[in-house]
Amino acid sequence: MNGRWFALAAAVALLAGVPWFGNAVLIQFGINALLIAVLAQSWNILGGFAGYVSFGNSVFYGLGSYGVAIAMAQWNLPFWVGLIFAATIAVAFAALLGWPILRLRGPYFAIVTLGISAAMSALAANLDIAGKNVGLILPLTRNDTLFYEASLVLLAAATLTVAWIARSRFGMALIAIREDEDAAASVGVNATRFKIAALAMAAFFTAIAGGIHAYWITYIDPAGSFDTTLDVRMVIMTMFGGPGTILGPVVGALVLSAIYEVLADSISKAAALFFGIVILVAVIFLPRGLVDLGGGFRALRWRYFLTNIRQYRI
Amino acid sequence: MLLVQILVNGVLLGGLYGLMALGMALVWGVLNIVNLAHGAFIMLGGYLVFFLFTAGLDPLVSLPIAMAVLFLFGYVIQRSLLNLIVRSALLNTLLFTFGLDVVLTYLAQLLFSADFRTINPSYAGANFSVGAVTVPVGRLIAFAIAVALALLLYLLLERTRLGRAIRATAQNLDAARLYGVNPAQIYAITFGIGAALAGAAGTLYGIVAQITPYIGVTLTPKSFVIAIIGGLDNPLRIVAGGIVIGLAEAVTALYLGPTYTDVVSFGLLVLILVLRPARSLKIA
Repeated sequence: MNGRWFALAAAVALLAGVPWFGNAVLIQFGINALLIAVLAQSWNILGGFAGYVSFGNSVFYGLGSYGVAIAMAQWNLPFWVGLIFAATIAVAFAALLGWPILRLRGPYFAIVTLGISAAMSALAANLDIAGKNVGLILPLTRNDTLFYEASLVLLAAATLTVAWIARSRFGMALIAIREDEDAAASVGVNATRFKIAALAMAAFFTAIAGGIHAYWITYIDPAGSFDTTLDVRMVIMTMFGGPGTILGPVVGALVLSAIYEVLADSISKAAALFFGIVILVAVIFLPRGLVDLGGGFRALRWRYFLTNIRQYRI
Repeated sequence: MLLVQILVNGVLLGGLYGLMALGMALVWGVLNIVNLAHGAFIMLGGYLVFFLFTAGLDPLVSLPIAMAVLFLFGYVIQRSLLNLIVRSALLNTLLFTFGLDVVLTYLAQLLFSADFRTINPSYAGANFSVGAVTVPVGRLIAFAIAVALALLLYLLLERTRLGRAIRATAQNLDAARLYGVNPAQIYAITFGIGAALAGAAGTLYGIVAQITPYIGVTLTPKSFVIAIIGGLDNPLRIVAGGIVIGLAEAVTALYLGPTYTDVVSFGLLVLILVLRPARSLKIA
C-alpha cells in the first residue's frame, strides 16, 4: 500500500511539474488531456458506478463554457465568479433534467441523452445572450501554466470525489442501482434521488472543465461548445480505462489522448476511426478496463482475455 | 387542401420510417441488443445502392442485392463479435454497437467523402395527381415496399420454422436450446435480417432524401422512437408507429417549420415514456 501511495504521489508531482520542464506544445496538450480526463472522471460517477450510460454530458460542458463566457464577455465579471455562475447553471439543469429522465432506464435513458445533446446546440445557436451562431469572445489571458495547473487541480478534485464515492454509502447505493435497481429499491435505496445527485456531481465538474476551456481558448461557438464528439470521447476513455474505478478514467483519458495525439500527427484522417476501434476491442477483451489488466494478467497470463470472453459469449 | 397534401406526404414517408425501425425492433426484441449502429447500417445500404446506381443499375433491382449484402454483413458481425458479449449487461452491447457506429461512420467518411449523394432514377422526381392532391412516385414506391417487407417479416416470424425458432429464442433461450435450437445461429440470422431491413431502408431513403456518412446520427434515435411507439412484437404495428411519426413531422414542418421535426420526434418519445412508464420499463 505504501508503495502505491508513493507511486501516486510521484505521478502527481510529475504532472504538476510539466509547465516547468515541458515546452509550450506539451503544456497545451496537457491542458486538453487533463480537461478530457475530468470529463471522463465525471462521466464515471453516473456511468461507471450507477451503470447509466449518458451520451449527453457534453451539454454540461457547453453550459459551463457559455456560463463563463456570458459572465465574462457580456457582464464583465471576473473568471471565478463566472465559474460559480457556470457550475450553478449546470447543476440546476442536471437536477431539473434528471427528475424526468432518470426515471428512464437502460437504452431509454441513453437515447434521450443523445437527443438532448443534439437539441442543446440548436438552442444555443438561437439565443441572443449566447451570441447566436457567431459565438462569444472572452478577454485574453496568456498564461498556459495557470490554465494547466487549474486543470490539474480540477482533475485532482474530481478524482478525490470519486475516491470518496467509492468508499461511501452514496457510492454503495449507486453500485447497488447498477447491479439490480429493483433489489436496491426494495431495501430502501431511493434510486431516483441518488441518480440525480450523481448526475449533478458530474455536471458540476464537467461545467467547470468547460469554463476553464472557454477562458483558455478565449472564443466559443455553439458547434465547439456543445460538441457531441466529446460524449464519444469521455465514454470511450472511461470504458477503456475502467468504469466504476477510481483511477481508470484518468489513466484511460491520458493514455488515449497521447495515442490520439501521435496518430493525429501522422495519419490525421484515421485518428477518429481509432476511437471506434478502441471501444470495440475494449468491450470484448477488457470489459473491466485497463486498470484491471495489471492484476488479471499477472494471475492468468493470456488466459485473462479468454476468461473475459468466456464469461459473456453465447 | 394543403393539409391533405401534407398528410399524404407524411403517411408515405412514415411507411419508410417504419421500415427503418423494423430491423432495430426485431434485434432489440429477440437479442435484447439496442443496436446504436442501426442508422449506420441504413447509411451503408444507401451508399451501396448509390454506387450500383452510378454503375447503371436501377435501385429497385439493387434493393435485394443491398439486402443480401447487409444480411451477410450483419450475420458475420453477430457471429464473430456480438455473440461474444451478448450475455453481458445491456451497457456493454450498447457501447459496442456505439463503437461500431463510430467505426462505420468514419470509414464511410474516409472512403465515400462527406458529399451529399442522391439516388435519382427517372421515377424519383415524378408524381401524379389524385383530385387536388399530388402523389410523389418515389415516396409511394418506398411506402409500398416498406409495407410489403413488414408483411413478409410478419409471415416469416409467424408461419415458418425459422420464425418459430426466432420467437422461441426471444422468449426463453434455455428452453429453445433444449428443443434443438442453436441460439448462436439464430442470433446471427436475426441480426442479419435486421441489417438486411436496414439495407432496404437505406435504398429507399436514398431515393427520397440525401445520403451522407452522418445520416445515422438522426436515423438511429428515430428508429428507436418508432420501435417504442409500435412495440417490439408486431412488424405491422411498427410500420403504423412510423406513420405516426411521419404524420407528426409533416404537421410540425407545416406549422412550426422544418427545423423542429427532430425536436418533435424526441418530444413524443419523452412524452410516451413518461405517460406509459410501466409498459416501457417492462420491455427494458
